[in-house]
Amino acid sequence: MLSFIIRRMGQSVLVLLITGLVAFSMFRFVGDPIDNMLGQERTMEDIERLRGQLGLDQPFPVQYFRFLENAAQGNFGVSYRQGRPVAEILLERAPATLELAIVSAFLAVLFGIALGVYTAIRRDGVMANIIMAVSLIGVSLPTFLIGILLIYLFSVELGWLPSFGRGEVTRIGEFWTTGFLTETGLKALILPSITLGLYQMTLIMRLVRSEMLEVLRQDYIRFARARGLKDRVINFRHALKNTMVPVVTVIGLQLGAIIAFAIITETVFQWPGVGLLFINAIQFVDIPVMAAYLMLISVMFVAINLIVDILYVFIDPRLRADRTGGH
Amino acid sequence: MQRLTYAAALSAVIALPATAEEFTWAETTDPQTMDPHAVNSAPVLGFLNNVYEGLVRRGKDMSVEPALATSWEPIGDGEGWRFFLREGVTFQDGAAFNADDVIFSYQRASDEVSDTRSWFAPVSEVIKVDDFTVDILTSAPNPIFPSSIANWMIMDSDWAAANGAELPDKENGNYATLNTNGTGAFQVTDRQPGLSTTLVPYNGWWGEVEHNITSATLTPIQNPATALAALLSGDVDFINPVPIQDVARLQQSADVQVIQGIEARIIMLGFPHEADGLKYSAETEANPFSDVRVRQAISHAINVPAILQTIMRGNAEPANQLVSAAMNGYTEGLGSYEFDPEKSKALLAEAGYADGFSFGLKCPNDRYLNDESVCQAITGMLAQVGITATLDAMPVQNYWPELREDNFDMYLLGWSPGTFDAEHPIRFLAATPNEELKLGSWNFGGYSNARVDELLPLIQSTIDEGERQAMLDEVANILYEEAAYVPMYVQPLVWGAGSNIDLTQRPDNFFILRWVTVN
Repeated sequence: MLSFIIRRMGQSVLVLLITGLVAFSMFRFVGDPIDNMLGQERTMEDIERLRGQLGLDQPFPVQYFRFLENAAQGNFGVSYRQGRPVAEILLERAPATLELAIVSAFLAVLFGIALGVYTAIRRDGVMANIIMAVSLIGVSLPTFLIGILLIYLFSVELGWLPSFGRGEVTRIGEFWTTGFLTETGLKALILPSITLGLYQMTLIMRLVRSEMLEVLRQDYIRFARARGLKDRVINFRHALKNTMVPVVTVIGLQLGAIIAFAIITETVFQWPGVGLLFINAIQFVDIPVMAAYLMLISVMFVAINLIVDILYVFIDPRLRADRTGGH
Repeated sequence: MQRLTYAAALSAVIALPATAEEFTWAETTDPQTMDPHAVNSAPVLGFLNNVYEGLVRRGKDMSVEPALATSWEPIGDGEGWRFFLREGVTFQDGAAFNADDVIFSYQRASDEVSDTRSWFAPVSEVIKVDDFTVDILTSAPNPIFPSSIANWMIMDSDWAAANGAELPDKENGNYATLNTNGTGAFQVTDRQPGLSTTLVPYNGWWGEVEHNITSATLTPIQNPATALAALLSGDVDFINPVPIQDVARLQQSADVQVIQGIEARIIMLGFPHEADGLKYSAETEANPFSDVRVRQAISHAINVPAILQTIMRGNAEPANQLVSAAMNGYTEGLGSYEFDPEKSKALLAEAGYADGFSFGLKCPNDRYLNDESVCQAITGMLAQVGITATLDAMPVQNYWPELREDNFDMYLLGWSPGTFDAEHPIRFLAATPNEELKLGSWNFGGYSNARVDELLPLIQSTIDEGERQAMLDEVANILYEEAAYVPMYVQPLVWGAGSNIDLTQRPDNFFILRWVTVN
């Protein structure tokens, strides 16, 4: 067991290192940050000097190695654009993204399960069919478009909700800022979290529906009905519970996706999170910010996968036997 | 208890008009630093013009007017300029302004690590005569010096020393990157880079207050559709820029107004003058663009009015030289290459390219307004005269390195003269590239003309305006005759604001808060 965990962790580190290497080899194609850092009256001499100072004259494996060396000491460098430590900027932006992701995930799970159960129980109902048809929009329309449509409907036409930003935020402790405590902050959360969570909601809804339909066909449900149990008890206590095992796994993996793919939603709503920071960093060729963000996201995904893998081993002893004993 | 509620309600009522004058605006780019000497770019200097001030400043019509200097006069026979400083001015931290701050700001802004260094290339020495008189000596007579330093902002020497910000630090940032202490009409109270920046009026400002703003907040919004929605929904009072294609729609809305003008920026095509051959040609023959007839043919082949009508939706003006008519030193009565495909073909045939040729056109796709569409149109127009241009459009971060490495057969360039004078593009675009003399640093094609190189230093040092203009005219004529570049149009400037906002638009695209009134 221990050796399995150690081996998986070793693999994770390798994955991280390779991700970083690929990222650094790509930065050259994003462009040259120098032109953004110097004004129009710069000379070639200024360009060379700054390039040398930033280490951009080095080949990318050297740049990557330097990044690793500093990152290992907890130093992610200084943003080219803001002239501030990257770690500080990421910490400042993280609460916005995390709050948005949590609210989106919450909405997705809540409505996903509720609608999934509803459409499974009322399989042939008119309403269930409408929900199923509408849910196709959630899967097929790009996030960008959904966001813009929501803004035009609820901000421009109806004037109910703010069109961009996070509203008023309250500072908690040294690092955290929250939009949960003010009216404008809560209002600002509504549209972006719907936009971000819509895809996951549809996904969960469809998953719950199909799992539920599967379960409802099982013998023990029939026996339960034969025992004369109430529909509500059968549906929610017996059927839903057994539906949840695969659903929970998917939700766990999707949480990482919500954080990582908040980029588009954050751009549309000018949401001041790490995703927007990353997009701006690409436009400016802010290599330290791009590198730190990509590493952070890969650490997150690798960690989630690692945890899931380890949990599987605990849950399912067959996997454990496979790994250690072999066939 | 009841009285307390009443008092609270009353104060809320009283506070209402004040909140009405809270002004919010959105721009695509956040000023990347609050340090006035670290980055010489329009978003930074435009924003900081509200906070810091120079010895002189530009008025609503771009004319140079007194700011921290009340007056100035030439010293002797063009040895430099004497500035008489305004007395009783205080920085926003309360410190008094005097000649020491000017000397310090000169040293800071002209240091090797400062991006504003080139403004002080003509300066040989800055001398403090007394607490409120400063002499700025120039190595040669420099008639336009006062107008060339309108964006040179004065920083308090003690404040900089106390906070360890004696020099700008672009790479790692320092206190002045995030904090400000100017003498201007507004002071920064909250700065969150990339998120929001809040300003309030500086009560100790020396000037007469025209605006009625109590607090102003800048939020960068990168996505144009989001910015537009924010303006339409009233979440912001002002946005810059408005996408050209949305202008007509915005004009139909009663709640918003569109403010249009032209920017100082000329959009032009550049040629590889000194290249031996084309890089992206199927024929890989010699360099056709080294022949003046080919360059003239290109000029005749491009239908600028059509580009302005369709792609710019009638919002831009055609150009025939490297500066717009609003700039100092503009050449009147210069000819222009009319759209004439037949003449273009004749010129090509004369040059031996009756069957045309193919080449690669480099173009940015996120630098100038609708830049890629303009290049696509150009490609089509050149095809009409038998020339095949292969368009390669890319983000600007990839574009400049390509141009620096001479990877082009023709390229699109926009140029906005920082000094608002016709000398500026000659120095950067027309002079033969010379690292040592810091000339021609944006002359990617390596255009070179001995007479232009000879005239440039004379233009820079001639005091007599008539004589100077004659030389500028001569250079403009040479560049026109030789078709060194193909100047096409002056880029439009489109701002959007709530209909209750009064403001002033300047061609340098600076948004000056002290001219804003919220009605």
